[in-house]
Amino acid sequence: MEKPIIEFQNVTKEFSMNSQKTFKEFLPALFRGEKTVNRFTALKDINFKVKRGETLGIIGPNGSGKSTILKLVAKVMSPTNGKVTVRGKVSPLIELGAGFHSELSGRENIYLNGAILGLKRKEIDKNFKSIVDFAELWDFVDQPVKHYSTGMYMRLGFAIAVHVNPEILIIDEILAVGDTKFQEKCFKRMEEFKKQGVTILFVSHDIKQITKFCTKVIYIRESNLAAIGNPKKISQFYLNDQENK
Amino acid sequence: MSDIFTEIKSIIKWHELLWQMVGREVKARYKQSILGYFWVILNPLAQMLVMSFAFSIILRIPTNAASNIPYSIFLFVGLLPWNLFSNSLSSASASLVSSSSLITKIYFPRTILVLSTIIAKIVDFLFALSILAIYMIAYHIPINLNILWVIPIFLIQQIFTLGLSLFFAASNLIYRDIQYLLSLILTLWLYITPVIYPADLVPERFRIIFQLNPMAVIINAYRQTILGGGPPNYSSLYIGLLVSLVTLFLGFLYFKSREKIFADNI
Repeated sequence: MEKPIIEFQNVTKEFSMNSQKTFKEFLPALFRGEKTVNRFTALKDINFKVKRGETLGIIGPNGSGKSTILKLVAKVMSPTNGKVTVRGKVSPLIELGAGFHSELSGRENIYLNGAILGLKRKEIDKNFKSIVDFAELWDFVDQPVKHYSTGMYMRLGFAIAVHVNPEILIIDEILAVGDTKFQEKCFKRMEEFKKQGVTILFVSHDIKQITKFCTKVIYIRESNLAAIGNPKKISQFYLNDQENK
Repeated sequence: MSDIFTEIKSIIKWHELLWQMVGREVKARYKQSILGYFWVILNPLAQMLVMSFAFSIILRIPTNAASNIPYSIFLFVGLLPWNLFSNSLSSASASLVSSSSLITKIYFPRTILVLSTIIAKIVDFLFALSILAIYMIAYHIPINLNILWVIPIFLIQQIFTLGLSLFFAASNLIYRDIQYLLSLILTLWLYITPVIYPADLVPERFRIIFQLNPMAVIINAYRQTILGGGPPNYSSLYIGLLVSLVTLFLGFLYFKSREKIFADNI
């Protein structure tokens, strides 16, 4: 049997946050013998596997640790305990324009962002037309992106990310913004990815989207894995659980 | 040690990102202002004029003995590399913090953020250098083959800069005070480095401080080779190289030891 593309084994993530961000706060605290480091557990003993081609939905209230899971998969964080195994190229959908430079034009930003996502210049050249087509930004491609609207920003960001040809695509609530028409287009594109066998991690608060789109759902509650399984069942469990609070 | 090779390999793998990032820095500066790149030249020029007035006309600091080099050129040869050092260090120390949105989302070698800032500053430096070249021609400063020494001296300077930048960039991510501390250090450092005065004015008993300060060795070596027309002081340069390599090694180790928790600290 093929090994799972993503595997979390007893993963715990703690943050040791300095409670004082500056020396001004740090020095007095040190003299007074106060704790200078606060421990905070974001994920506790998480176990799950994702098979190649699955679409995993991650649900849970704000601050439950959903984004931390994505960050561990993207390898920008490493677990405090346990093991995260990722067997494939990950492409995150970056939040609104994180990799954009506002003074540069759309064209320049496509190259910059593509490079951040690990694309070669030639690959971007090849995909350039298709990226701009997808983002529907031909009239603005040589304008600095600071003149773009939020929707245009998002469209450009999404357009670049879907041209990376990832094995694992990470989508963190990004589709909450943007008009319905573009959202539909994004979902269509994601359906295509699904058909091609791309593994997708999808975080959303929109239960409808989750049940429609995912093949498997995990529910994270207060840093713990509360449930895993069938999208409809888990979503229902999540909704009931939230109401009973 | 193997860490260093792994890092170099991954930087080579990600070289396209490195150049895109350098391009971003350079283009953004060019676009944001009306005078654009002219500022890169205007800044040191104004600095040189004012400092020349203060130190040469009012304080009458002599330049190297036995030469009739005008103070302004003497100053410029030291000031340009010093500015490069100081600008690189302060921008690089802020480089991780200013790209925090990327650090929390995407994996790529973090050293690229520091490297690209430093390279962008070198581009600025090359522009500013044109003024020095024009100046030297106008004053008929003789040069000879010893000027090629500038290349290894420049490399030593970059090794030292990179080492310190890695340290300050990583620590600034954890304590934001570091950038303020750094600007204080840089201000003081300028005065214990022979930038505005010649190294031979330094009394014998203080020489040791200057020999252990790679920037003093480097600035002095630039002057010896560009204005003096002779080779640099080899033993000082060796010490400078050694201190720079140790700095780079320690800076890199510190950077790597913190790298895993960068995203946790933003």
